[in-house]
Amino acid sequence: MSAAIGMEVLKTKGRKIWLVVAVMMAVQLLWAGWAISNKDANDLIQGWMFFLYQFPMLNCIIMPVIAAVVASRLSDVEHKGQTFKLLETIIPAQRIFAAKFIWGSIYMLGAALGQLAIMIGMGFVLHFGGPVPWGALASYLFFTLVVSLTIYIFQQGVSMLVANQMVPMTLGLVGGFIGLFSMFFPQGLQKLILWSYYGVLMQVGMNWDETTRATDFYWTAIDWSGLGLILVFFVLIYGIGRILFVRREV
Amino acid sequence: MSNIIETEGLSKQYGNIYRVKDVDLKVPEGAIYGFLGPNGAGKSTTLKMILGLAKPTEGEIAVFGKRVNSKNRLENLKNVGSLIESPSYYGHLTGEENLRIFQTLRGVPKQNITEVLKIVRLENQQSKKVSQYSLGMKQRLGLASALLGYPKLLILDEPTNGLDPAGISEMRELIQSLPQKFGMTVVVSSHLLSEIDQLATRVGIIREGELVYQDSLTKLHQYSKQHLAVRTMNNEVTKAFLSQNGVAWEAEDDYLIIPQMKDTMMAEISKALGQNNIGLVRIEERKKSLEDIFLELTGTAVSL
Ligand SMILES: Nc1ncnc2c1ncn2[C@@H]1O[C@H](COP(=O)(O)OP(=O)(O)OP(=O)(O)O)[C@@H](O)[C@H]1O
Ligand SMILES: [Mg+2]
Repeated sequence: MSAAIGMEVLKTKGRKIWLVVAVMMAVQLLWAGWAISNKDANDLIQGWMFFLYQFPMLNCIIMPVIAAVVASRLSDVEHKGQTFKLLETIIPAQRIFAAKFIWGSIYMLGAALGQLAIMIGMGFVLHFGGPVPWGALASYLFFTLVVSLTIYIFQQGVSMLVANQMVPMTLGLVGGFIGLFSMFFPQGLQKLILWSYYGVLMQVGMNWDETTRATDFYWTAIDWSGLGLILVFFVLIYGIGRILFVRREV
Repeated sequence: MSNIIETEGLSKQYGNIYRVKDVDLKVPEGAIYGFLGPNGAGKSTTLKMILGLAKPTEGEIAVFGKRVNSKNRLENLKNVGSLIESPSYYGHLTGEENLRIFQTLRGVPKQNITEVLKIVRLENQQSKKVSQYSLGMKQRLGLASALLGYPKLLILDEPTNGLDPAGISEMRELIQSLPQKFGMTVVVSSHLLSEIDQLATRVGIIREGELVYQDSLTKLHQYSKQHLAVRTMNNEVTKAFLSQNGVAWEAEDDYLIIPQMKDTMMAEISKALGQNNIGLVRIEERKKSLEDIFLELTGTAVSL
């Protein structure tokens, strides 16, 4: 298995995948900077909550794009060089699938850690009020990873099964936009859409007072059933993707 | 002599059409097996089934005397090198890096990379990106990947695809040397008989999914029926004479084609022609070319 992962790393040589992650993180940093720039000292008291509310929203579109690009970059070389028919005479197809997933996860982990660093860094620089909510930040990292890896495994499955990479890229983008707008969907429907789970697993809610035009953030209870569901989705999608990939004839 | 590959009733259906039907392939140890058939005959499909890349609809496959199933498949394939349809490669990596991937995954010694690069004469191109390789160089890289583990069985599907005449003869020499040098058994598919003539020790000919011939190449040569071509000063009179004497003939240009016959019979004919003042100017032995036989076997007119 480690050999297979090592070879995945070698295959990404010169493919600038980290650059994509870095660019998306830069977008997130700029956006966070812009969003916080028109806040006054009073608002910054709730700075941590503000971030924990805004970042998941932005993630609805940022993370699916990263997942789609990474999955596609890892798979297109195999389609282009028709390598599956040789690889599958050397190692089991399920191992190819797993190695790609593990190496792809590293990029998703990188992106999740990147955003956490942006939040914490800005929080310290701008002196957000109150103690650092380490627990909430850790949960944020965990939830972001769970949702992102589920979206990633979906993208990987499609990227490995379909040679034309326009298909997974389009699915990824459409998914991201649906996720963004899912905030306005009824809860039941939200939970059927992978891309809306950044919102489902949000730890902060917002009150908006129309007369004073002031926003007030508050902590919400964790949606455990949502967490359970997304984990089920992950296992299902991984299983189905793997079966389809293993059964596929080249 | 044991068979390295043995299939029994191997069939593959795509849609509801059998593209490979009841193929009993037998590849003896140490052979260079020429697997012949026109485009779309089912060569690649058969080879893919042997490698487990496509699932047979029916039939059994034994490699190295062991029946292949999904459990022992990869274990069996450790001793098999393959190149199916077109070479597999990563264009953004160098030739050496490409081989390193397959060498690492196979778990064979690193020095094999240098050795196989030398065998296929790519050692000077190893640090070049494969996307910049010519078609022939990619083909040779594909062969190098197949050779990496010095397999006991090498399956090459149209390995001369895209090679120039010099490349083709180089590939042929290389393949020819493999059984003695490394004790390999080689299966080479092709749609040209001429390409594997003088190379293969055994041939299988597949036509529309069915194996229509499988034996030694020498036997195939013997199938080429001999006949005689005669030319006389007056073919018209000769025709009548032959017919009278019950000898079948067929006109072809200035010649009359007649079946092979005993010397005494031929002597009789020439004597009779002489007595009738018809000069016999040519008698030639003619053989159907191997290409003709191949066409007959693979075309519509099967006469064997
Ligand atoms: N995945 C597939 N789905 C449907 N039909 C297929 C598939 N693969 C092959 N076929 C059909 O099976 C037949 C045999 O194809 P195959 O590739 O085995 O031929 P071949 O002998 O290798 O030909 P060539 O000399 O052109 O390589 C063809 O009619 C082809 O269209
Ligand atoms: Mg073919």
